[in-house]
Amino acid sequence: MHSDDIKPNVLTTTLESAVNWGRKNSLWPMPFGTACCGIEFMAVLAARTDVSRFGAEAIRFSPRQSDLLIVAGRISIKMMPVLIRIYEQMPEPKWVISMGACASTGGVFDTYSVIQGVDQFIPVDVYVPGCPPRPEGVVEGLIKLQDLVGKEKLSDYSLTPTK
Amino acid sequence: MPTATILSKIKERFPGAVLDITEFADEHILHVQGQDILLVLTELKVDGFNFLADLTAIDNLNLGGFERFAVSYHLLSHKTTERLTVKAYIPEEKPSLPSVESLWKTADWQEREVFDLYGIKFEGHPNLIRIMNPDDFDGYPLRKDYPRLGRKERSDFPVIKRPFKKEKRTE
Repeated sequence: MHSDDIKPNVLTTTLESAVNWGRKNSLWPMPFGTACCGIEFMAVLAARTDVSRFGAEAIRFSPRQSDLLIVAGRISIKMMPVLIRIYEQMPEPKWVISMGACASTGGVFDTYSVIQGVDQFIPVDVYVPGCPPRPEGVVEGLIKLQDLVGKEKLSDYSLTPTK
Repeated sequence: MPTATILSKIKERFPGAVLDITEFADEHILHVQGQDILLVLTELKVDGFNFLADLTAIDNLNLGGFERFAVSYHLLSHKTTERLTVKAYIPEEKPSLPSVESLWKTADWQEREVFDLYGIKFEGHPNLIRIMNPDDFDGYPLRKDYPRLGRKERSDFPVIKRPFKKEKRTE
């Protein structure tokens, strides 16, 4: 093939950029909605904010088909083992958005039965404040997460479990 | 039959069971011994209070009252639309009283809820297990001497790390 034919059709980049570009623009969210944030999250998918513009519209209610866990709502002590199980079922690479005050800090529910922030037990990448956050806020959080995913290095990962 | 008449009839019939009859905000409250609650409520159901609107409990830790715990039954008569509260008192040492699940099926879950949060046992209940708290939960959180922030159960979980991600992410 002549080099003039190649030039407009071929793009050279690093493997890392190509992989990250693919990952960040096709996040598959798994919503873990336990409260009003779960209701607000539905609006994120609807026409007005429309996360399909960012490639994250394929909501899966199975953790095995998802790479983004959105914890939306307060997590009780009875729900935390379920959340941990769901997080562990997700295949790598995986990310977590903590949506709203309750998931991030326990919110107003400072009581014996409510987890005071899921980040005590599972790794959280992006926190979205609000009670509940507006859909625009969740989209902002998603874009922030896309930036994080875009900056990841393949060398950040090991082939065997690190622990 | 007016509620006051029904109550004086109950008092005649179960003199040992009825502790007091009071009135508050135009509604009658019948105070009874916990052990006799099933007899009293069976009689009241026959007398027209056919509907159990609510069943809950009170912890009188520092509030006075006949005993520490009171299980409160809120009855409604669909015929006369009159309401009646029955309070059954039970001691701290032996917090148990007969179940009324045989009279009203709705008492099934409500008695489980009271058991879950107050540790009050309902004799004859078909399935007296915790309804909201985890099965391995220890303690009864709605008792007044239970700390509001619990006994560390909300921070007692394993810490999960990303297994294939090396520590620690940027920033």
